[in-house]
Amino acid sequence: MAGRLLALSARSIKARPVPLGAAGAHSNPALDATRAMIGNREIVGYGMNGQPHYYDRSDIPLPAIRWKEATADIKCLREKEKGDWRQLSMEEKKALYRASFKLTYSEFKAPTGEWKQIVGASLMLVSVALWFYMAVRVVTRVPLPDSFSEEKQQAQLRRILDLHVNPITGLSSQWDYEKDDWKK
Amino acid sequence: MFRNSLVRVASVLKNVAVKPNAPAAVRFMSSHNTESDEQFDNRYETYFNRTDIDGWEIRKGINDIVGQDLVPEPKIVIAALKACRRVNDFAVAVRFLEAIKDKCGPKVNEIYPYIIQEIKPTLIELGINTPEELGYDKPEMAIQNVYEIH
Repeated sequence: MAGRLLALSARSIKARPVPLGAAGAHSNPALDATRAMIGNREIVGYGMNGQPHYYDRSDIPLPAIRWKEATADIKCLREKEKGDWRQLSMEEKKALYRASFKLTYSEFKAPTGEWKQIVGASLMLVSVALWFYMAVRVVTRVPLPDSFSEEKQQAQLRRILDLHVNPITGLSSQWDYEKDDWKK
Repeated sequence: MFRNSLVRVASVLKNVAVKPNAPAAVRFMSSHNTESDEQFDNRYETYFNRTDIDGWEIRKGINDIVGQDLVPEPKIVIAALKACRRVNDFAVAVRFLEAIKDKCGPKVNEIYPYIIQEIKPTLIELGINTPEELGYDKPEMAIQNVYEIH
């Protein structure tokens, strides 16, 4: 609500930018605060939310204030703007645009390459996590029990075959009990 | 005519109850909307065609129509450009054309040339250049993002 009051009061002076320190402009402290924030810039619209801020947004193309403060050459251009626009040169037209807006659509929508920073930082953090994992695996290693030695494993395999474990589709089905060897 | 509606989400979430006495609404919006496309277009065209419109109202109208889920009809665009001429604001006209190009979304190569072709007589009559003619379809300069200055 305060924003709307500010916007309404600001609208009444929108065509007359008040220089800082002018006497007679101090009846409204909110207006002074606005002028301190935006200087000499002309307030031209409601903008996004009634506040006299500048922004470049593709969904709200026209902000509440002009981009540049009103200097002498811009005032000169504004006078020319009142006439036939076909008389304006390309430079003047571009200067008029840049006086009201900071960046064009293609400039503020241009890719920033930020995704490379993000992917790079994420991968670096992931690699730190992988280093931690490897460290844990190295530090917590214990020696294998002696039942893992070659002779003992062969003895265990002999016992599995003697017990006919999985005789139909598993390991013992591959063993030829007459020849006492693996089936060919 | 060109209504890019959010069909995927809207058609799943909303049931459109078309009352027999309501004008046919193309968009999947809430069932409170009973305004037809022509009424919508005429409303905006009348708004911009007011002879005593001022810069504040033009900006509000343009921000509103750019906020809708559609590309404005050429007649609305022409009315807005003529309104810019009445208040002597060239930059707003160019900004509106850039916004229209942005609203076309992925179909920009089909819709934007049509819009420009329809409004070309007005552009020539008023002396408004398209952003392409001003060289603003490619980035011209880069300014460091204020949020990344450390």
